[in-house]
Amino acid sequence: MNDRIPRLHLISDRRLCPLDRFPEVARLAVDAGVDAVHLREKDLPGGPLAVAGRALRRAIGDRALLFVNERADVALVVGADGVQLPETGLSPREVREIAGSRLLIGRSVHDIDGAERAATEGADFVIAGNVYETGSKPGQAGRGLEFVRRLAERCPIPVVAIGGITPERVPEVLRAGAWGVAVISGILRDAEPAEAARRYREALDEVIGGDD
Amino acid sequence: MARADWPPERLRRALRLYVLTDRGLSRGRSEVEIVQAALAGGATAIQLRWKAGPLAEAVRAGRALRELCREAGALFVVNDRVDLALALEADGVHLGVEDLPLVEARRLAGDRLVIGFSPSTLEEALAAERAGADYLGVGPVYGTATKADAGPAVGIEHVRQIAVAVSIPVVGIGGITAGNARPVIEAGAAGVAVISAVVAADDPRAAAAALRSAVDEALAGRV
Repeated sequence: MNDRIPRLHLISDRRLCPLDRFPEVARLAVDAGVDAVHLREKDLPGGPLAVAGRALRRAIGDRALLFVNERADVALVVGADGVQLPETGLSPREVREIAGSRLLIGRSVHDIDGAERAATEGADFVIAGNVYETGSKPGQAGRGLEFVRRLAERCPIPVVAIGGITPERVPEVLRAGAWGVAVISGILRDAEPAEAARRYREALDEVIGGDD
Repeated sequence: MARADWPPERLRRALRLYVLTDRGLSRGRSEVEIVQAALAGGATAIQLRWKAGPLAEAVRAGRALRELCREAGALFVVNDRVDLALALEADGVHLGVEDLPLVEARRLAGDRLVIGFSPSTLEEALAAERAGADYLGVGPVYGTATKADAGPAVGIEHVRQIAVAVSIPVVGIGGITAGNARPVIEAGAAGVAVISAVVAADDPRAAAAALRSAVDEALAGRV
């Protein structure tokens, strides 16, 4: 039943990669093995967000899942596959009532309670972090592998780990119980984003067997 | 709640005094406190509007405002977000030119929501009506300090032009007070929308009551 939950998530950040370039970067990353792309631009109004979402959808086609952060309305309008809900705001249950089965629902969490609540409220997976210290959230200490382990034990839905995960760290994160990993700067800050994506994919496939 | 609950005449009457929330202007008072007072003073529509801060707070406030408006028979509208409007079972959503396109919002909401739109021009107003808007917010009628992004005052003539050209109701917004509401109504508006005139008032209830009287008198004089 986890078949549809992607393993390697790329999350946008227009401070690192402007939105006019991101669709092409995402397309190359998808070619290299990324299987979910998230549009996460919190301060963008609905209009420009929908334009960006459509451009992404065109760029990646149906070769990877498209998620819109927080806004289920934009996700539905641009034909995204899912919505990624922040820890506070509309709950997975409330969004499910609006979206029915048209959207996968991810919930971002930072502790075990949040993860268990997300599962109870009908989320399909959680993104949990940050596992290591990360350039995206400087000064915030990583929660560590033990955090991933406990979360994966307690949380009945897939746990996607985020925060400072490099390709080299992918094996230990997966062995701690993570279903997959989500990456921002690890791909977007790389001079060769597609190459970076490929390294993540290879690291993932080595652990999960590459038959996923 | 659904669009069908707001047939044209009921909607028009619900637009007589439309109050938008603004946490930055409320001088520490909660949305609930302000809206309770506004409704007691005669507000006929409330829009939940937040510019910053965690969405969780908007959701919490929205639930309370939903109930208050239901009890008062007032129209409850959520700014910008169709998903939030649906989740809160709001009566409507209000969109601006930067928000989700009206056609798409309508497709998404179907007949579950009244949709309001803020056009900048007559052309946008006409296009919005064709695209399924149920009412228009037109302004800023007078100069306003509340909406930094609202642009220069467009004046009474602009309200008149649009009100004549469309068959859906128009509310004027921007710098409107009990003292200057009359010309807006005389220009053809179904009502007035205010933020600071109520939200920042010493006595929001009295401020709403004064505005409502001004609107009602002007409407009576127009017939």
